[in-house]
Amino acid sequence: MDFERARIEDVETRVKSAVERAKEKQEELNAVVSFVDVDSQLADLANKDPHAPLYGMPIVLKDNVNMKGVRTTASSRILDNYIPVYDAHISEKLKEAGAIVIAKSSMDELGMGGTNKNAYTGKVNNPWDTMRISGGSSGGSAVLVASGVVPFAIGTDTGDSVRKPAAYNGIIGMKPTYGRISRYGIIPYASSLDHVGYFTTAIEDAAVALEVLAGRDDRDMTSSYEPVPNYASDINSDIKGKKIAILDNVQEAITNAEIKENFDALMKKLQARGAIVEHVRFDDKLMRAMLPVYYIIANAEATANHSNLDGIRFGMREDGASVEEVMINSRTKGLCPYVRKRFVIGSYSLFEENQEKIFRKAQKVRRLIVEELKKALAGYDIVIASASGMIAPKSEDSQDEHLSKDVLVAENYMVMGNFSGYPSMSMPTGFVEGMPIGINMTAKPFAEQTLFNIGKAIEEETGLKGNDVEVDA
Amino acid sequence: MEAYSAEYFKKLAHDIMFDVSDDEVVELQAEFKELLSQIDVLNEIDTEGVEEMIYPFEAETKFLREDVVANVISQEDALSNAKSVKAGHVHVPKVVK
Amino acid sequence: MKYETVIGIEIHCELKTKTKMFSSAPVAFGEVANTCVNEVDLGHPGTLPCVNKEAVKLAIKAATALKCEIDPLVKFDRKNYYYSDLPKGFQITQQFHPIGKGGCIHIETKDGVEKDIRINRIHMEEDTAKQFHSEAGTLIDFNRAGTPLIEIVSEPDIRNGAEAAAYVEKLRTLLLYLGVSDVKMEEGSMRCDVNVSIREAGSDTFGTKTEVKNLNSISNVQKAIDAEVERQIALVSKGEKVVQATRRYDETQKTTILMRKKEGDVDYKFFPEPNIPPIRLDAAWIKDIQEHMEELPDERKARYMKENGLKEYDASVLVANRDLGDFFDAVCEHTKNFKKAANWVIVELPAALNKDNIKFANNPCEPKHLAAMINMVEAGEISGKQAKVVFEEIMKGKDPKTVVEEKGMKQMSDTSELLAMVTSVLDANPQSIEDFKNGKDRAVGFLVGQVMKASKGQANPALTNKLIQEELKKR
Ligand SMILES: [Mg+2]
Ligand SMILES: [Zn+2]
Repeated sequence: MDFERARIEDVETRVKSAVERAKEKQEELNAVVSFVDVDSQLADLANKDPHAPLYGMPIVLKDNVNMKGVRTTASSRILDNYIPVYDAHISEKLKEAGAIVIAKSSMDELGMGGTNKNAYTGKVNNPWDTMRISGGSSGGSAVLVASGVVPFAIGTDTGDSVRKPAAYNGIIGMKPTYGRISRYGIIPYASSLDHVGYFTTAIEDAAVALEVLAGRDDRDMTSSYEPVPNYASDINSDIKGKKIAILDNVQEAITNAEIKENFDALMKKLQARGAIVEHVRFDDKLMRAMLPVYYIIANAEATANHSNLDGIRFGMREDGASVEEVMINSRTKGLCPYVRKRFVIGSYSLFEENQEKIFRKAQKVRRLIVEELKKALAGYDIVIASASGMIAPKSEDSQDEHLSKDVLVAENYMVMGNFSGYPSMSMPTGFVEGMPIGINMTAKPFAEQTLFNIGKAIEEETGLKGNDVEVDA
Repeated sequence: MEAYSAEYFKKLAHDIMFDVSDDEVVELQAEFKELLSQIDVLNEIDTEGVEEMIYPFEAETKFLREDVVANVISQEDALSNAKSVKAGHVHVPKVVK
Repeated sequence: MKYETVIGIEIHCELKTKTKMFSSAPVAFGEVANTCVNEVDLGHPGTLPCVNKEAVKLAIKAATALKCEIDPLVKFDRKNYYYSDLPKGFQITQQFHPIGKGGCIHIETKDGVEKDIRINRIHMEEDTAKQFHSEAGTLIDFNRAGTPLIEIVSEPDIRNGAEAAAYVEKLRTLLLYLGVSDVKMEEGSMRCDVNVSIREAGSDTFGTKTEVKNLNSISNVQKAIDAEVERQIALVSKGEKVVQATRRYDETQKTTILMRKKEGDVDYKFFPEPNIPPIRLDAAWIKDIQEHMEELPDERKARYMKENGLKEYDASVLVANRDLGDFFDAVCEHTKNFKKAANWVIVELPAALNKDNIKFANNPCEPKHLAAMINMVEAGEISGKQAKVVFEEIMKGKDPKTVVEEKGMKQMSDTSELLAMVTSVLDANPQSIEDFKNGKDRAVGFLVGQVMKASKGQANPALTNKLIQEELKKR
């Protein structure tokens, strides 16, 4: 459902029916961690400009976005009772824009994972086939948009945590430039890779959403001063002369013929619209390094970022005879084994004796990967490839993010958008076996407009504007 | 302590304030084996003279916050999430120094 | 065997800012627990640090005064460890790129030994929460958490307790003068950790060091070091080894006590803070700060001696006690009689305050009043004796002019009026004139006394004396 369709109903009906749909689908999808009281928010609308961009629009926040007075758990047991005493920057922005938060959505615990099976409240199911995973870590948000509950949901993207679930769920997943949206009040995963992102079903909606979310925030020192354009009104789907580079390493690694065909057919259509479609290839070693580099940097930053989860000032505290015991018991019980495992690895790579050969080595390779992307984008407007070489896997076939000898180039490359901070967007392009598939494109820093413009052209070609399970049914 | 022994991993975990079970240790051992072989993958990449990339964008900032009190929360809010509170303080079992 | 002592000192100073190092919550001392905090200071999930401009400014001032090289690219790092007073589970500090490097400071001990102590580094970081321990548990107050700190690390150039005391005292006055810190050791706004080791005299290797922490006064710095050196020498003389450890000084036992052993160095897993991009300090801003620095103690002392003509002792006293020095400067804005002013400020003023048990901060005496009084004495308008009375009144906040008028003290300095009085006194005392002629100088004193009496004490004694001498010669 897109904004336009949502607006057919009056605000009250629209919000109440979104809550109802979310509740109806909770058993099937398990996407919601907490429902948020909408009555006080609706009452607050009286003080808002009815022309505010998201006036009365029901939305969902990933459960790592702090909202004052609303339980925020990051899908971790250790934060099961955490009630933020402050609003995230984007919570303020969304409130200002008139949005009504109906729910906090499930995620992989602390953002660590790509399946959404690591949520304290249990796995989240894909609305297109509930035997399949939603993808993660922003799985709850993705499925609440894909199932037609809300037209817009916030996610966060550290590796591909918005863009991958978007592809698995047939919706748009946008990760703007690092610094474009303030991270203040977002429970982190890995600070140098974390981005606020979001899901919509229409390019226009994605553009409107970014106008609301973007902008300098002095509380986040990495937040950008770059002025926020009028993305929505500037959308132009005339892509004649636009230079598009297909990332060959990814397309060649894909074995699913239907996905390949879908992609190739789309490229032909873009060419027919006058776009110049060519090919780039990254160094294979760098392609294979993406996962370990991500894994090392993310785990190292995460273990430090989450040292505050000790049960002392907030969160689930387990008893102990000493303060040390309290911390150990709280963290042992409060963090899932998967997260603890990754913290151990992160901590190990930060030891003075290991840092040079693990953490700093990964940071150096990160630079080389970013240089490779920068080089490619010097000659092109976007780099494009399939968002995944497969449809959403069945729950039992899917594995947590882990290191493996068989590096799946097509499944891990989107992290280059996090290494570089460049804007990157996934969007649906069709269906395989009744499941949605999509593409991903990455543009130069702060060239979100380019993504919206080319995205609009693609949307016109696929006709998948407003795509969700309800529409398809 | 023998590297990558069960004892070793339990110590690593303990240093960052949690325990790992024997089963988790087995998983950790497997993961570490993989980590070490992935480090080999990284080592195939020549990073001689390459600087660590710490931030996505390395543009320096000029911004410094003005020294003006702007955001203070109430004592009630400060303590609202703490499990044990005594006399306006967060309370924990005695710290053994 | 002869031993040499090697001492290095790390000093943490809380900076005098309005807000925290990385949050906009207020910095305060003695406030109700957990009322000067926000989500950042509590390490709540999702919070991010934001660097305080004033803290950077104060660090630049300190680094400049310590002749450090200033790094115009400010970077921060994480120091990771778990402790209940450390909300985030890491401290943000400047491990890899301290704002100041390689300075030095000139010290002089009480015994007059002078030397330079090199400064290794000065860096910015954040303070921890305050904990109160009791049998019933530990209570944590986060008001102090996140308070801006500078850490000043010396090179191991200090050789004994006296030098250490001189070093700390010198730093203390320096930072006080600069307005960088309150430097109150007893309140913990200045904290001193001392690394002590001994080695064979002439050796250039280092012995095993111990760290003595929690020293709450400068005299304890000296005492603790002396005690620890004695302890280490005793150990080594017996053939035993010094164990690397953290110790504290016990005032009653006059010895250091083991707090905890250090088994190898703790790995703090330092790495660059990803949430704070490198901050480029504006060169013009740094220059402006440096050009507008407060006068440093050494500069002030030199000024007192050169411009005010004070003796070294007086200048030192005024510099050592900054309140008195500032007051002296204020008095000197209204009088040119610097030496007299210094005397009143150094001797009479503290005595008067002391007598009535008044803190200097509540000093009722106005500098311009004291200056006016000094000028009146100088002009002969009141006598030195009268001045003592007037001073008592201006110590109650009164204007000396009013006091003199109210008490009818105005000194008779009108020459013709006084001459008339002298003449009549001489006329009435021929015996004294006779005595004078016979060489009895005492007669002058008697005659002055008579004039004073006749004038009800208002005659200017010096002028009276002069006139009497002149008139006697004429007779
Ligand atoms: Mg230190
Ligand atoms: Zn320190």
